[in-house]
Amino acid sequence: MDNRSRTAEQLVIEKHTERLRRGFHLWPGLKQGRPPALGDYRWTADLILSTWLQAETGMPPTNGLEHRVGNSGGGFDRLDFKFFPQDRWLPDTVTIDLSIPLNRRPYDRRIEIPVPFYGAGMSFGSISEPVMRARAQAAQVWKTFTCTGEGGYPESLLAYKDHVITQIATGMFGVREETIQYAPIVEFKYAQGAKPGLGGHLLGDKVTATVATMRESLPWVSLFSPFPFHSVYSVEDHKKHVDWVKTINPEALVSVKVSTPTDIDMVAVGSYYDGAHIVHIDGSYGGTGAAPEIAKKTIAMPIEFALPKVHRCLLQEGIRGEVVLMASGGIRTADDIAKAIALGADGAVLGTTELVALGCTRCGNCERGRGCPFGLCTTDPELSQLVETDWAAERLGKLYQSFQLQLSDILRRLGLSSIRDLVGRTDLLLYRSQEETR
Amino acid sequence: MITQPETVARFLASRESLIPEGGTRAVWRKAEAEGGCGVIGMAASERIPARHLLQALTQMRNRGNGKGGGIAAVGLAPEDWGVTQEILENDYLLAIAYLDSRARLEVERSYIEPTFEIDHARSLPGTDDSGIVGRLDVKPPEVFLYFGRVKPGAVEAFRKKNGLEAAAAPALPRNRIEDEIVYQNSYGLNRTFYASAGEKRAFVLSHGKNMLALKMVGYGDDVIRYYQLEGMRAHVWIGHHRYPTKGKVWHPGGAHPFVGLHEALVHNGDFANYSSICEYLAQRNIYPLFLTDTEVSVLVFDLLHRTYSYPLEYVIESLAPTTERDFTLLPEEKKPIYHQLQTVHIHGSPDGPWFFLIAQSAQAQGAYRLIGITDTSMLRPQVFALQQGPVSIGFAASEKQAIDAALESLASEDQRFWTHADLYWNARGGSHTDGGAFIFTVQADGNGPARFVCTDKFGRPIQASAPQEPYQARATAVRTGIALPDVPTPGLFAWARERLLGWDYGNLLAFLEALGRTAGNDHDRRRALEVLTLLMDRRYPTGSMRPSSMLSLFDQSLEAIVGSIRQSPSVAYAFVSAGNSPPGPSAPAQTAVIHAGGFAAQGEHSLAREIVRLYQRGFRKFMVTHARGHRFIANGLGPDTKGVSIDVYGASGDYLASGIDGAEVFVHGDAQDQLAQIMKDGKLVVYGSVGQTFLYAGKGGQAFVLGSAAGRPLINAVGKPRVVINGTCLDYLAESFMAGDPLEGGGFAILNGIVLNDQGQILEMDTPYPGGNLFSLASGGAIYIRDPHGKVSEEQLNGGEFARLEERDWAVIRPFLEENERLFGIPVARLLEVDGSPLPPAQVYRKIQPRAIAALQAEEAWVKMHA
Repeated sequence: MDNRSRTAEQLVIEKHTERLRRGFHLWPGLKQGRPPALGDYRWTADLILSTWLQAETGMPPTNGLEHRVGNSGGGFDRLDFKFFPQDRWLPDTVTIDLSIPLNRRPYDRRIEIPVPFYGAGMSFGSISEPVMRARAQAAQVWKTFTCTGEGGYPESLLAYKDHVITQIATGMFGVREETIQYAPIVEFKYAQGAKPGLGGHLLGDKVTATVATMRESLPWVSLFSPFPFHSVYSVEDHKKHVDWVKTINPEALVSVKVSTPTDIDMVAVGSYYDGAHIVHIDGSYGGTGAAPEIAKKTIAMPIEFALPKVHRCLLQEGIRGEVVLMASGGIRTADDIAKAIALGADGAVLGTTELVALGCTRCGNCERGRGCPFGLCTTDPELSQLVETDWAAERLGKLYQSFQLQLSDILRRLGLSSIRDLVGRTDLLLYRSQEETR
Repeated sequence: MITQPETVARFLASRESLIPEGGTRAVWRKAEAEGGCGVIGMAASERIPARHLLQALTQMRNRGNGKGGGIAAVGLAPEDWGVTQEILENDYLLAIAYLDSRARLEVERSYIEPTFEIDHARSLPGTDDSGIVGRLDVKPPEVFLYFGRVKPGAVEAFRKKNGLEAAAAPALPRNRIEDEIVYQNSYGLNRTFYASAGEKRAFVLSHGKNMLALKMVGYGDDVIRYYQLEGMRAHVWIGHHRYPTKGKVWHPGGAHPFVGLHEALVHNGDFANYSSICEYLAQRNIYPLFLTDTEVSVLVFDLLHRTYSYPLEYVIESLAPTTERDFTLLPEEKKPIYHQLQTVHIHGSPDGPWFFLIAQSAQAQGAYRLIGITDTSMLRPQVFALQQGPVSIGFAASEKQAIDAALESLASEDQRFWTHADLYWNARGGSHTDGGAFIFTVQADGNGPARFVCTDKFGRPIQASAPQEPYQARATAVRTGIALPDVPTPGLFAWARERLLGWDYGNLLAFLEALGRTAGNDHDRRRALEVLTLLMDRRYPTGSMRPSSMLSLFDQSLEAIVGSIRQSPSVAYAFVSAGNSPPGPSAPAQTAVIHAGGFAAQGEHSLAREIVRLYQRGFRKFMVTHARGHRFIANGLGPDTKGVSIDVYGASGDYLASGIDGAEVFVHGDAQDQLAQIMKDGKLVVYGSVGQTFLYAGKGGQAFVLGSAAGRPLINAVGKPRVVINGTCLDYLAESFMAGDPLEGGGFAILNGIVLNDQGQILEMDTPYPGGNLFSLASGGAIYIRDPHGKVSEEQLNGGEFARLEERDWAVIRPFLEENERLFGIPVARLLEVDGSPLPPAQVYRKIQPRAIAALQAEEAWVKMHA
């Protein structure tokens, strides 16, 4: 097409897209140094830039960008691996197995993913449809999963349905029998680590006509998903809930996503006995700008405390071998994934990281309709056009590829040939003092 | 003379010796997590054998996981236990569980002999039936029963030690001291032999008078089977299935019931403030030993009722406080005392979802009670029921189907019972209307039959308004030779309806027999089923016959007709049962008649999955009979199910019609919880009431409810659901409703606030909506409420506003009221009649709509500017 056949709007979008992408390309090169005022203690400028770089090259950075830890002074940033001396590393000839099963019970369908992570639930409404589609496309290429979040199941996702988890959250927006029947895995979201006990919310500004149609609600009216499920106040209600989904789709695996209260171990055990295949615990470091700061900063147990607690409890109960334990809530890097696994998880669930790969700078305007300068966390029909599905899917794939390389490398250095052997190996972790992490 | 408060203080002080070694704890933690549970209680004017409780518990197994079960009985039969009535009434009955049989001598030497004069002692042998023993993970405890009186010396010692010599009857009756001695004695026993470090060897199951509690690791019904109690009789029974989730090793001590002194409590729920309650108890020298919610619940109950001598009403208020608008609507004289109770006892009030059933032996008054209390927010399922025939019996349970199972079991062997209760209802937690609690009291009356009353928290009696005699086979004349007119269904129904005013049960049976007998061909079969269904669904004057008895007889007729379909299936009717599934309809419109009896309530072998399979094989019409709590009926059919219709008879289960997308489901009777969750399209008709969270996150479709909805109907519903509820809703109606504009195709709920009683009369409720939360935070849709006297007030709204009913509104809702008339026989004209005179719709119905939001959202403004 030449310029004459394009509308002014298209030209504007093209100009912005081109400039944004140039920025994503140029900044990680550090030719102008680090951009001022980028990032925060958890997601440092280096982590953001290195994620951009990985999403472009499919490799970890080699130019000195810190790509393993942030600067929070706690959590995964204080943990490190006790790598073996180089002479004990596994040689390159040994194939490293990064695959994990998503059902460890001896019955029901077998699903394995070749990398120990899948995409977190982010709804249509919280993010744009092209971003959703890109996540699904990347999940399909990598034979892993992404998740609908709670905002309906856009038709364009149907092409990827074997790689899309249907989430049922407390508002049940857009949940219909067929969306449960499409899914190989159905996820119950009981709570989110970033804002446990607060339900879900999508502020009116983002509830455009399209979003409202998908959720069958009213445009521009804020949507609140209650806390908790009003049909589930106890463990036998939850069992009933699981039975309900299995009546609709007997083939589906069931994931239970919960936040990290102090009795998370009991929640995990209860979820297992009620038939969950995946127990997904969501710690407190996650959440986009749409989650209230006070909730993100003050509620829920940090994931690095919750994981060993749950892992050990499941071991004591003698059921660890039948549970797939997934961790999320602030998993930013390949190192974070490996640390979560060493702390007791089978794998990790990625949310914000994927948005950063697509250009997110963590500016925190996610709750506003036209707040996202990168067209990610927006439902605005114009801003959404800043992201093309293929471009975004490729970036996500490249990030996955870089994570794959790094995870293999970590395992080699620990003398392990399978990611499954890393589960719960807290003995392979170091806790660094404040000084050491500086 | 010592005053009452001083006595209480000395009692509490005397418990200092109970403070565990190591003193108090800073943080109280539950030992185990449990949320779920299934509970049932029954109380009757006659002693009822345990095998009927067993049936109810067996029915409700899916509410437990076999890791804990228990029962309690109050008002026992002396001959069952080999004691005299006098011993039964006067002696404490200590039931002690020995996990280590060698502990018995030690326990008896240190805790029985020093305190009690034993009148009778016996073991309660467990069965050696390998079928029962084999499926138990943990061997149940050996149980010994001791009937004994407190030694006079122990009483004197207690008085002396605690400075209570001056306190004599009536200020301090001797039995109060004896009670306290027994309580403290058992506490010591439990601490020494169960709760302290080391082996768990023995604990006290119960110690009240004329009551017994038993529990073990297993299901509640296993307790009855294992201890061979099927024939043991009692006035009051409670039973429990537990659902603990943590711990590899379970101990019977963690199972319900837990006992205070003369009461046993079972519980379904989970507290958020366990630690706070423990702290509250610790301030009164009471320390839990078993570390579960249930234990502290009964400790609080015992404290308030026995130690503080509060009347039941105040105990209930302390546990489940009356709050918000309900408090303001209390009678003035109650407010100060309720306020005081709340101020003092709020820390002992369980916070979170809970439902208590308590069996109480008030032996001093010769009374036995079943008490059901629901939490202020009504977060657990609960249903109450009452049947008043030659024997009066009351029930409270997690699910209605458990009650029906007990009634079915009773009716199968005792003609004085029948399969339907006269009355089923839900409690409104913490309310000014019923207080969220009901009490069934059996008052022994010398040698005569016991008196039976049911009251709410405030002492107001609840009665089944059923003056007619129930059906008694013995007393019924056999009649024959009734000739049915050869007219279609409506005509035959009208014919019967007119005549049954003058009928006795003999006539009715003859009619039903004739109706069933002609059911040889499809035309007659259809007519018979249709007429029976109308007789079940409609409310009409029943003359000398009891409506609930008639329903039982209709059930029998339906069974007979289904039996004939089983014998000889026809073009119109195929028969389906567990293990007997036809490959497909033999004719296009063939109805699959499914006897639900053999199907599981959930899972791969459930009724719900069978319906899905039959649907996939081409069936479109279904008739489900003998449902017993079967869950998920009509779920899983998938999208676009227009043309499917399902009629459900019996006690249907949770989640019925959830997610339907075009199908039509008819429930002939009351329905349970979570109906029509995410319903998309189609139609649900309930010829009775519906339970909790009806139409949660509904998207569309139509629903018609003859009775009322419990808490939280239509919460988070979007799209265009249209609902008619003829009764009312307990609270939280249409919270966060987001269903567009009803005038532009959006959704709405019509609330009529009427009772169609069992004689077909339409009565106005005191208020069409008693709750404090109506249409809270709603942004779309509307409620049309029949409120000609303007009883619903602004303060019940939170985000909504009243609006005048316009012509356009009436045009939208009128067709639904007309359909309501067709379905239930509630004439639109009658709804528009107020105090005998017809009024225009706008003076009868009020509209509640979302308050307009003044400020535009930034984006909204931008879009509107550019539009």
